[in-house]
Amino acid sequence: MKAHFLVAALLLLGPRSTPAAALRVVTTTEGLAALARELGGDRVEVTSLSRGIQDPHFVEANPTLAVQLRQADLLVDVGLELEIGWLPPLVNQSRNPDIQPGGRRRLIAASAVEVMELPSGPMDRSQGDLHPAGNPHFMSDPRRVGRVAAAIAARLCELDPTGKEIYRARLTSFEERLTAAETGWRAALAPFQGRRVVAHHNSLTYFLDWAGLRATGYLEPKPGVPPPPSHLAELVGTVKAEGVKAILVESYYDRRSADVVAGHSGARVVSIPGDVGGSKDERGALEPADWFSYMTTLVKLVTGALQ
Amino acid sequence: MVSLVLASLLAAAPAPASADAAAPAQGGASADEQKKLEEEIAKELGAPAGGAAAVPQPSSPAPAAGAAQAQTGGNPFARLLLLPDISAIGSAALAWNHLDVATLSPRGDPFAPAHTLEPIFQELEVGLQAVVDPYVRADIFLTFSPDGAGVEEAYITSLRLPASLQVRAGELYAPFGRINQQHGHVWDFVDRPLALARLLAVDGLRGPGLDVSWLAPTPWFAELHLAYQAVAPAFDTEDHPAGLARLLQFFDVGEAGALGVGFSAAHISEAGVNASRDVLGTDVFLKLRPPSSRSYLALQGEALLRQLNGFEAAGGPTGPEAPGTAWGGYAQAVYRDGPFFEYGARYERAPAPSGGPENRVSALASWLPSEFERLRLQVSYDRLPGGLDGLEALLHLEFIIGAHGAHPF
Repeated sequence: MKAHFLVAALLLLGPRSTPAAALRVVTTTEGLAALARELGGDRVEVTSLSRGIQDPHFVEANPTLAVQLRQADLLVDVGLELEIGWLPPLVNQSRNPDIQPGGRRRLIAASAVEVMELPSGPMDRSQGDLHPAGNPHFMSDPRRVGRVAAAIAARLCELDPTGKEIYRARLTSFEERLTAAETGWRAALAPFQGRRVVAHHNSLTYFLDWAGLRATGYLEPKPGVPPPPSHLAELVGTVKAEGVKAILVESYYDRRSADVVAGHSGARVVSIPGDVGGSKDERGALEPADWFSYMTTLVKLVTGALQ
Repeated sequence: MVSLVLASLLAAAPAPASADAAAPAQGGASADEQKKLEEEIAKELGAPAGGAAAVPQPSSPAPAAGAAQAQTGGNPFARLLLLPDISAIGSAALAWNHLDVATLSPRGDPFAPAHTLEPIFQELEVGLQAVVDPYVRADIFLTFSPDGAGVEEAYITSLRLPASLQVRAGELYAPFGRINQQHGHVWDFVDRPLALARLLAVDGLRGPGLDVSWLAPTPWFAELHLAYQAVAPAFDTEDHPAGLARLLQFFDVGEAGALGVGFSAAHISEAGVNASRDVLGTDVFLKLRPPSSRSYLALQGEALLRQLNGFEAAGGPTGPEAPGTAWGGYAQAVYRDGPFFEYGARYERAPAPSGGPENRVSALASWLPSEFERLRLQVSYDRLPGGLDGLEALLHLEFIIGAHGAHPF
């Protein structure tokens, strides 16, 4: 009897200690990890190097992350220099030859999407801490996420041909759910087309473009540059003149500037998750749990503020 | 049949994101579509790194290369695309010292003659970094200072070695301790700790050689380095062959922290029968940073023990180097207060040239207007054996232009 119990316990523990996953996928962000989980299901074991509550520009290049990369069967990063400050040394330390840029186990998500805010003329850092390759914050745009999902699925098929049918079926299912969800989100956003909001950083460019909203201004005068009072004062004027109702700030940004502008203009500060797992609920658990609930939360918060 | 449909869906899905979510073109291209395509090509050409490039290939070429194929006459940015990352880092200081440190407390730059407020151009570092071929990358750092121009580091790093091995070869800083392998612009404090200048090398222990490292298959980060280099230790100006070993480990400390512990050893041959210099070192680094914050607390310390075997220290007992066995080290705490400010305190103990211990404490305040500029004020109190003491002050400016590769943690 005891022996049976032991065997049962071992069986229960077994899959956890030695995962049956065919591929170990490591992503740089929680959003990409959520997509990889949607597409890989049980066949993949997914880890994200950063947390959703972190500013993806400023993740610590803690060498213990290189240990995760060492055995990665696939590394998915956003690209466009979003992770330039911390990913390259980790990839180097990992000694995993196939996850180098251009390697067969490296997928740069940006290579699957049309990039916005490409600099069209000469640029230097007087314009702020720019991403010279274009805006990398495309994971809150369902159109582009659809393309990233397809690219991830294609790469999973390549690296694990045995699971091909599963990945393809999961992609189809993802695309169906995406279409259905997008219809719902668009319906919720429909009454607010063309409305203006203020954002902290140009991290919502793709989202606003997809949602039919417009950024009337940013708390940062230039990307990565902190707002001087003169800029905030100007912004208060714009917010009042254009009747802007919402100031959207990712949870990892200091919201003092946003509060100041809100206080003077009557707009509302809306703290939004920066990614999947980008905010904490009352019990301290991280949410939203997956990409669909992240988008639903985003749409709900934005439409709520625009009411 | 279903799988065929699925396959064609898959094939179609990651296609170039042309005209966002638009239906595929039916029949001949209209003038509108032609214009759209033109606009798209213009956009793609503006995107050197990633752009609107096409289907992710199995071993994707540089994304922009895909875009260039549509251009007659080739890609006008081809030369630019092959340029290495180029950066320049300038540093200058305004220094004031109470003591005549050049003779009483020998060290590396920057410092001023006693009782003189002296502006110092410290260094211009030019970095050239790129992948050489699919097998190695190269990192080159040239340095220009009032002492002249030189090669600070120039080495290749292997990218594809099996068995978790990595080799660096060329002119490089020796894998010994934490600060020795970092360039000055990575340090929190302005100057090199006295103990490192006196027991290791005044401008950092470095030289031509080979560093082989292995990442152990452990659940934590454990890296073992074995190096063979020609180095000029302490205040020596000549290179001597040296064998080095270093074990570096990193552990996660809860959600918010990382702890690094290192052990280093160097055996440096010296002129004379069986003459040698042995140095042992240990370093600890603890960084605590709440995940969603830009503020952090970093504690760091190193201790070094040096023994001279069978030869006199450079300059003899009155020279800049303490004879026999000597030890020293430092401990520092740095608090980064958001993106723009940093404060620190440091205690140091180093062997004074006369043999007794020299103690120094420093306070640091930094202002970082952006990621690319830093202004620091460092004030120190130095106490030498025999009761000699004095204050020192450094106002230090640093700036960086261009693309400089991220530094290891």
